[in-house]
Amino acid sequence: MELCDLSAEQIASLVHKREVSAREVLEATLNRVSLVDGRPGQLGIEETTPDDEKYVHAFISLTAERARVQADEVDRRLAGGEDPGPLAGVPFTVKDIFVVRGTPSTAGSRILANFVAPYTATPVERMEQAGGIMLGKVNLDEFTYGSSNESSAFIPTPRNPWNPAYVPGGSSGGSTAAVAAGEGALSLGTDTAGSIRQPAAFCGVVGMKPTYGRVSRYGLIAFGSSLDCPGPVARTVKDATLMLSVIAGRDPHDQTSVTVPVPDYASRLEAGVKGLRIGLSPDYFRITFVDPHTGELIERPIDPEVLAATRRAADVLASLGAEIIEDVPMPHTHYGIPAYFVISRVEAASNLHRYDGVKYGYRTPEYVTDLRDLYRKTRGQGFGLQPKLRILMGMYVSAAQYSEQYYVRALRVRSLIRRDFETIFDPSGAYRLDALLTPTTPTTAFTMQEVYGDSVLMQYADELTVPANHAGVPGISLPAGLDRKGLPIGIQFLGADYAEATLLQIGFAYEQATLGEDWRKRKPQVVERLAV
Amino acid sequence: MTEYEAVIGLETHIQLNTQSKIFCSCKADSWNDPPNTNICPVCTGLPGVLPVTNRVVVEKAALLAAAMHAEIQPVSFFDRKNYFYPDLPKGYQISQYDRPLARGGYLDVPLPDGTTRQVTIEKLHIEEDAGKTKNDNGRRLIDFNRCGVPLIEMVTGPDLRSADEAAQYLIRLRQLLRWLGVSEADMEKAHLRCDANVSIRMVGADYLNPKTEIKNVNSIVAVKEAVQTEIERQIREVEAGKRIEAWTLEWDEDAGVLRKMRSKETEADYRYFREPDLLPIHISEAWLAHILQELPELPLERRARFISQYGLPEYDADILTGERSLSDYFEAAVALYPSDPKRVSNWLLNDLMRMLNESGKLASELRLTPDYLVEIIRLVDAGTVNTTTGKSLLDKVEASGKRPGEIVNAEGLAQVSDTGAIRQAAQQIVSANPEQVQSYRKGKTTLIGWFVGQLMRETRGKADPQLARSILEELLSE
Ligand SMILES: [Zn+2]
Repeated sequence: MELCDLSAEQIASLVHKREVSAREVLEATLNRVSLVDGRPGQLGIEETTPDDEKYVHAFISLTAERARVQADEVDRRLAGGEDPGPLAGVPFTVKDIFVVRGTPSTAGSRILANFVAPYTATPVERMEQAGGIMLGKVNLDEFTYGSSNESSAFIPTPRNPWNPAYVPGGSSGGSTAAVAAGEGALSLGTDTAGSIRQPAAFCGVVGMKPTYGRVSRYGLIAFGSSLDCPGPVARTVKDATLMLSVIAGRDPHDQTSVTVPVPDYASRLEAGVKGLRIGLSPDYFRITFVDPHTGELIERPIDPEVLAATRRAADVLASLGAEIIEDVPMPHTHYGIPAYFVISRVEAASNLHRYDGVKYGYRTPEYVTDLRDLYRKTRGQGFGLQPKLRILMGMYVSAAQYSEQYYVRALRVRSLIRRDFETIFDPSGAYRLDALLTPTTPTTAFTMQEVYGDSVLMQYADELTVPANHAGVPGISLPAGLDRKGLPIGIQFLGADYAEATLLQIGFAYEQATLGEDWRKRKPQVVERLAV
Repeated sequence: MTEYEAVIGLETHIQLNTQSKIFCSCKADSWNDPPNTNICPVCTGLPGVLPVTNRVVVEKAALLAAAMHAEIQPVSFFDRKNYFYPDLPKGYQISQYDRPLARGGYLDVPLPDGTTRQVTIEKLHIEEDAGKTKNDNGRRLIDFNRCGVPLIEMVTGPDLRSADEAAQYLIRLRQLLRWLGVSEADMEKAHLRCDANVSIRMVGADYLNPKTEIKNVNSIVAVKEAVQTEIERQIREVEAGKRIEAWTLEWDEDAGVLRKMRSKETEADYRYFREPDLLPIHISEAWLAHILQELPELPLERRARFISQYGLPEYDADILTGERSLSDYFEAAVALYPSDPKRVSNWLLNDLMRMLNESGKLASELRLTPDYLVEIIRLVDAGTVNTTTGKSLLDKVEASGKRPGEIVNAEGLAQVSDTGAIRQAAQQIVSANPEQVQSYRKGKTTLIGWFVGQLMRETRGKADPQLARSILEELLSE
């Protein structure tokens, strides 16, 4: 096993003991990047080559020199008897939706391609202060708008390390692909409708969306401000726990970050699941969507292999002493996507107002007649299709004459979804659940271009993840097997507000109980290939 | 001829005098600072930044709301007002919309004819300011210093009936803002900005006609002139059988004319929605009580009390309550000199006000404290110094910071009432000036003033002037 394939916990331990240096870990990781990543995503590429199709393309900007300086500093501090922190020498990547001082912070968009931030996002700063080594910024859907990573302006877009013909999921697809391929043990992602959990499921890694407000959003380029959550992407539950412990907590720069104390997540990790009540809901075993032509509601069962993996996980947990509660009703689940469609777009359209070519970022090089012309050309040329669709929809549903009908109604739906969760987690209610176990996604990864372009259908990849964003509750996606195509399957645990410790505890128990399963021995194609 | 009355409402923006801006820690006041020097990622709307509410803004706004008799809401919300403009770096202004900090309220404005106009408040909310744009040889320059400066938007009902009333409202509002210490309220520095909505109607009518909005008026005099000009224009138009259109007008102060601004095509849709980056403002009872501890007796209340409690004329009471620290000074002095408040008022109005005007200080900043002032008045009362010396003591105390009594002793300023000493000085003057003595004795008795002046100079002003005059008359008539 190479250094870059070790878990964050193992790396930090070895580095602390000075059995390996942070620099050695870094160089091994950079070497892996050079072997599996191919050329980084960039502007101005229209077509990908057949050669591109073999690589992961997680990165937009690899900041190797910056990382070397950080790694040497960690080694220097250790040599001087100092403790650089719990992430000492752990290489990590950052979704390029977070600003990091002195590095390009692009949001995957032409409009911010030349933007170099003068400050650093709080979660990134916390990871660096804990001794973590930032490798660079990884690709994403443009402004996080998507579930496949194909909408980035930076091409080639990321591919699934398990099979590069498939999408890595999105929008944190660069993060999950990088972690799966050994390009950094950890990655900082964001989850607005499932954007950590869905690609984590597609790439066979652990991804967690913490409770809204648990991790500061300061320095996260906003999409749906009331839904956005930064969170960890890791290969193991323990690593996700380690990372969450570092990034969680009150930030004076983010008024919506909570003052609730951060518990010692690690201390409960090995407590097991005996006596915990874990629910299964039939409302998470199907997807319901509107036929774009007829407007009819269409119901479809989820992929049988995904459902089977979920049921198998329930059996494993039952065998460990958990109590499985069947038929838990979550009646508003299928309203999640339509409500999200409205709320996220109203917020997104407003959040995108600031990109106007006046202060920073892209400005049209063409002659402009007046201010409106500057705005029109800059935004017309700077934004890709997905931001434009969101602006149009957001402007429409928040217009004075439609707001009541769409936006206000969506907010009411949102509180109904929240009530579904309050009901099942109520400690004195009928269900008294500690967690709800669901599939993370209705299917495993789809092939590149299979769904892209159908923005309605693309949304339903998030149907099982978006309710947690509406409700603000935490969720975690764990690898739970491979389908017959050899693609990862993800299962999800959802919990009550600030129940991250419980979710990690359940996840860890499940992970440990399945360590010996055959699928766990398999490696992503791009990594497997290196051994040959 | 038909009688018209004006119907005027004022929309004011009040810049709060907090140290830092409303959502970041940049310095709020950038007067005299070069452009773009008090800015940070937050107030320039860089990608990824978040606002954090400055509690002092809420406290000052609540204090103003209480002084306007408005109902302070236990929960209020911030909303985004979306529009594009280069000096609005986020592309939306954080404001309050349907759940503002306070509801209702009024200000009683005393009018020169002795009546009072109650002006209702329709809207009072917190918002952030935008930057400044200026055109420079075809280039558009933006100064973001003002971005995020805390503002209160306060809109009156259509309750004012003349240009003069509009001016009186602003005078009273400015007085109140300074009194509360929430704003410097300097219109020239745009701490207090005013747009006026003006329409006219038949006297006695209860309907509202289409109104025009006058923007860009930056002094009270300008508001008065602009509103008066617009009232006259509307009357002319109506008399000529024309209709008043809902124009937006701009006041050109130099030319003294109103210019029509580009008409808004349609009412803009700002697509207001709740600001997701900020928590609602919760004002608990305890916090409110803490804020209201700072709520002083209001100027108009104090004015009425000065009239009833101290028997001051309305004129004196009005001036003494024009500014809070002057009125505090007066009360402190009266407490030490309760026998004659009017005498204290005279000293303040005649002499102290002059000192304040000349020095630009507030009464509270003087070294001549109420205690010292009263000591001077008592020295005059006791005849220890004459009135002239008493008045000169004011400046001496202010300059040195010493007690008046100490200065009198050190400089030997005590009045000379010793007949012998005065007589001796008078005799010297009479013998030293035979020509003047002769003229006097020939009938030019007005020269007595000259002789008294000489004597006062000789005694360095200490002689009792009455006594000096009678001794001199006696010697000269011999
Ligand atoms: Zn600032």
